[in-house]
Amino acid sequence: MKTLLWRASLRYLGRHPWQTGLSMLGIALGVAVVVAVELANESARRAFDLSMQAVTGRASHQIIGGPAGLEESLYARLRRQGAAPLSAPVVSGHVTHGDYSLRLLGIDPFAERRFRNFLGYAPDGQGEGLLRQLLTRPGAVLMSRTLASRLGLRVGGSLELLVSGRKRQAVLAGVLHPPPQKAAAMTDLLVADIATAQELLGRLGRLSRIDLILPEGDRAAAGAVEALLPAGARLTPAAARARAMQEMTRAFAVNLSAMSLLALLVGMFLIYNTMSFSVLQRRELLGTLRVLGAGRRDILALVLGEGLLIGAAGTALGLLLGVLLAQELVQLVTRTINDLYFTLGVSGLFPTPAGLARGALLGVGGTLLAVLAPASEAACSPPRAVLDRSRIEGRAGRLIPSLAGAGAGCILVALLLLLPGRSLVLGFVALFGLILGFSLLTPAAVALASRLAAPLLGSLLGVFGRMAVRGVRASLSRTGVAIAALSIALSATVGVGVMVGSFRLSVQQWLEATLRADIYVSPVTPSNTGNEASLDPALIAAIRSVPGIAGISQGRPANVQSGEGITHLYAIRMARGSYAGVELLEGRPGTVWPLFDREQAVLVSEPYAYRHGLHAGDSLTLDTDRGRREFRVAGVFRDYGADHGVVNMRMSLYRQYWDDDSVYSLGLYLEPGVDADTMVEQLYALAGDRQALRIRSNRTLRESSMETFDRTFAITNVLRLLVIAVAFVGILSALMALQLEKARELAVLRATGFTPGQIWGLVTTQTGFMGLLAGLLAIPLGLMLAMLLIHVINWRAFGWSMDVILPGGVLAEALLLALAAALLAGLYPAWRMARTPPALALRQE
Amino acid sequence: MRPLALAVLLAAGLLAWWLFSPRTPPPSDAPGIGDILGGAPEEGFERALAPRPFRFPADHGAHPGFRNEWWYFTGNLQTDRGRRFGFQLVFFRNALAPGKADGQSPWRTHQTWMAHFALTDPGAGRFHAFERLSRGAAGLAGARPDPLEIWLDDWFLKEKDGRWRLYAKEKGFSLSLSLSPRRRPVPQGEAGLSRKSAAPGNASYYYSVPRLRAQGRITLDGRAHRVSGLAWLDREWGTSALADDQAGWDWFALQLDNGADLMFYRLRRKDGGPDPHSAGSWMTADGRVTRLGANDVRLKVLEYWSSPRGGRYPVRWRLRIPSLDVDLKVAPVMDNQELDLLVRYWEGAVDVAGVQAGKPVRGRGYLELAGYGD
Repeated sequence: MKTLLWRASLRYLGRHPWQTGLSMLGIALGVAVVVAVELANESARRAFDLSMQAVTGRASHQIIGGPAGLEESLYARLRRQGAAPLSAPVVSGHVTHGDYSLRLLGIDPFAERRFRNFLGYAPDGQGEGLLRQLLTRPGAVLMSRTLASRLGLRVGGSLELLVSGRKRQAVLAGVLHPPPQKAAAMTDLLVADIATAQELLGRLGRLSRIDLILPEGDRAAAGAVEALLPAGARLTPAAARARAMQEMTRAFAVNLSAMSLLALLVGMFLIYNTMSFSVLQRRELLGTLRVLGAGRRDILALVLGEGLLIGAAGTALGLLLGVLLAQELVQLVTRTINDLYFTLGVSGLFPTPAGLARGALLGVGGTLLAVLAPASEAACSPPRAVLDRSRIEGRAGRLIPSLAGAGAGCILVALLLLLPGRSLVLGFVALFGLILGFSLLTPAAVALASRLAAPLLGSLLGVFGRMAVRGVRASLSRTGVAIAALSIALSATVGVGVMVGSFRLSVQQWLEATLRADIYVSPVTPSNTGNEASLDPALIAAIRSVPGIAGISQGRPANVQSGEGITHLYAIRMARGSYAGVELLEGRPGTVWPLFDREQAVLVSEPYAYRHGLHAGDSLTLDTDRGRREFRVAGVFRDYGADHGVVNMRMSLYRQYWDDDSVYSLGLYLEPGVDADTMVEQLYALAGDRQALRIRSNRTLRESSMETFDRTFAITNVLRLLVIAVAFVGILSALMALQLEKARELAVLRATGFTPGQIWGLVTTQTGFMGLLAGLLAIPLGLMLAMLLIHVINWRAFGWSMDVILPGGVLAEALLLALAAALLAGLYPAWRMARTPPALALRQE
Repeated sequence: MRPLALAVLLAAGLLAWWLFSPRTPPPSDAPGIGDILGGAPEEGFERALAPRPFRFPADHGAHPGFRNEWWYFTGNLQTDRGRRFGFQLVFFRNALAPGKADGQSPWRTHQTWMAHFALTDPGAGRFHAFERLSRGAAGLAGARPDPLEIWLDDWFLKEKDGRWRLYAKEKGFSLSLSLSPRRRPVPQGEAGLSRKSAAPGNASYYYSVPRLRAQGRITLDGRAHRVSGLAWLDREWGTSALADDQAGWDWFALQLDNGADLMFYRLRRKDGGPDPHSAGSWMTADGRVTRLGANDVRLKVLEYWSSPRGGRYPVRWRLRIPSLDVDLKVAPVMDNQELDLLVRYWEGAVDVAGVQAGKPVRGRGYLELAGYGD
């Protein structure tokens, strides 16, 4: 009996390759997106770990200082006091070579033995020679052979580096052959002696940090080290620092994962649709099997098995597609992290079995979940009833109110979930609850809409209109699902579209308000390494004396420690014109600015205030070079520049507490009548070969900022398109199923004199109606999603507030997309129906 | 002569392996001691060509124009209750390249430093050896003549109020001694010029302070002991290497209870025979110094000790100087005093017993055996 059942089942699947293929594709796409995002996130995390590991080595602790690093004599003091026998000084920084952003790691080979093992990767017999070169040859660097061949360098060749915009010559003293598992972490690493690193990076007398290996749990050892530390230097577990940096990207990763789950959800609708269709279509077969003695259990197993088969095949395909997709996604993710957080030199895909397994589990599990309902439906009906098609629809119809009730409950719970706390994950749970609730409400909405639309369409299109609409209502068990799937996908695009649009406009307005200066000057550096770079003081002096400049603001970004975290500090000497550019969200200008300009006070950005629960009048603690100090929060300002928040401090206050007088950027205010573009040219000429500068007029800076913004959301758009692709497959398969099922009905129509053109019209009207309905339903859900994304998700993830701006385009786009998808999906069934001679279709009876 | 090759080693060979391979054995193609001792030094270093007067305290400091240099402290100590210990603390300086390093970084230097610290505890039959390496810059390691200071990390020799303080520390082990010279520095070789082979310039400047009163404290396995005894300082700097046919050396530094001190090194040739450049001196309490040539000293191995790490060291000797009517037996306070560090060699405390001119003499000293470990 079992084999018979399976043969029947396989034959059915085989005879409906389109159905089977499409639902497989739907699951595959869903799984692919989940897996790809999972892998991309994982890879970014792993890349971060690897690149940290390569430079942290086996250090258990690190001594770190302020933005200017540590005074180097601290290291000798530690060694000569015997406080840290296992310690290694490090001078590191980012440099560029051509288009490549590289990390330069300066080490003391004599102290490295227990920390890192770079020279151990020297080709056999060359270690001693490399060591000698490293120590005695100025500019000598080592790199992995992979990097050397990527840069097209040969041993002995010179290598021009751009450090903070200044040209430096290095020499490739030798290549290292790291084992494969270590090679990835070294793809952007230049290893040099600490003296060379100080010289190349222009950091004479300073250390970036001191790595330590302290006996585990030995408080006394840590205490002995701490006793020698000057104010501003601190001992911290090596892992804590990495964690703090990684924490910054968490919200970003969660957002991506949520997007990917959406794709899977849509995929699940699809498989539900397919399976319930297949159950309906085979009602005769299943009924016969039941009559022949197949048990409920057998039928249940059969349908579940089929679903599992499709799900497993789709999942397998999805895993494959996911890995391919991840190759692209990881680039986007890495670029975004580089744009927003820190320079992630290591890139590449690191597929982990865990990531793949999670994807597989979600795929198969989601499929089973989706198949459960149709399977139990098939199994639970008595033998004869299975034969009765209309009974099912009837039952579906009776189910509508309870579904709608469940949906309304779902939405209510989702909204209630939003009430407490600031949990981002809970925000997403609510988001999904909202979506689920809406989709449960969809059948009711469809029923209602078709009841309302039938007379309308009837008066417009006559009997066709009424037939089309009634057809939708008559097969509600499937049309409802198809419409729900499409409208969820569309609502996601509406929601995300509105969110991105609002965000974009807010950023644009903010940029316009904030960027007050006419020209901005900064050295050429890899993105997010501004805190390492500085403008040549002589050049600043030269710029100062250029005629036509009315005022200059100066900025210096710095990362400083605050408790266990890193605070992004922006020291600024404001020009007269700068004040108006700061939009205060808390505090009044009349009280804020005197505090900021004269007292021990700072301004914090909105995300910073949100993250740290700060308000105007509170105070925050920062670790300065003079020790731990409190600063009063004068006000909160709007800033979309950094999602982890930023603290603005006046330059003179910064210099009072940190030994750092470098300036990273200038804002130039021109005298009236001076042309910005001409001035830019003039400044480039002035800088000449001294320092490679990025000199941008207000307009170009604004444009490039918007470019970065758009780049950041490129990945969101990609995911959005993927969700639509899954939904499109869904509606296509649903409509095809629907129309193919109606083959007989349509054949009867043909036989009673309907022309192929009229059949076309009927099918197209029907699918068009469904598309329109999906689009219309998507709009309220989409708007709700947008509100949720803006006011809950964005706020909880980043602490950004923004106004909701309703771009009409997005809504129209959603409607159009819905119509187009539906019409397109109706094309093939309509064509097929119109073409099939009625006799052929009727003969199946 | 003796530790010359150790310092040469610092420049060549195993250093990189040591620095970067925490737990792996040296590659099998690593150069042997003999390979390393050959090889002509680079051009550009100063050479020891002719005798020169030593000036103190300047010459206690570093001579960075020469490639190699060392400060070699060894000694025999005992507690009030007579428990014996031996110690060795040596600072090696080695220049990777001649001249001053180019560059502005305070870390930039051609000078590298290595130090070895060993304690012999014959009562417990234990021997402990440690080493440190560093660059000679950024305050991490170096030498200053006045007031005298030689240091690497927290190991140092420091002059204070006319006394020298010698200090080294590792987890559970330490040495802290106050040293006061009982004898003026004695130039070795030809008025301080010690030739290593027939080639001109293949020589070093060499003086010894053969008797230093030592007093202080040592810690072994966390237990401190007050100790006193006699120490010996050997100072040498040059730009030389072993000749191609030389394989190693045996070095004796013996302090006798009749007030005389003996230093003798025997250079061994690869064919097993003694090298004619072997040399030493006999220094009496009244300050007279008798130079000893290769043929003045008769050496006979009485017993070998086989290292569990390979190699066979001649640890018991009979040493005769017919011209001075000296006949001594030299025996280690314990057999295993092998330092298994970047370079493997044997250096340990010895007892001396014998006769001079018919009178019995006893003494203590240090013996170094190099070139046996391969």
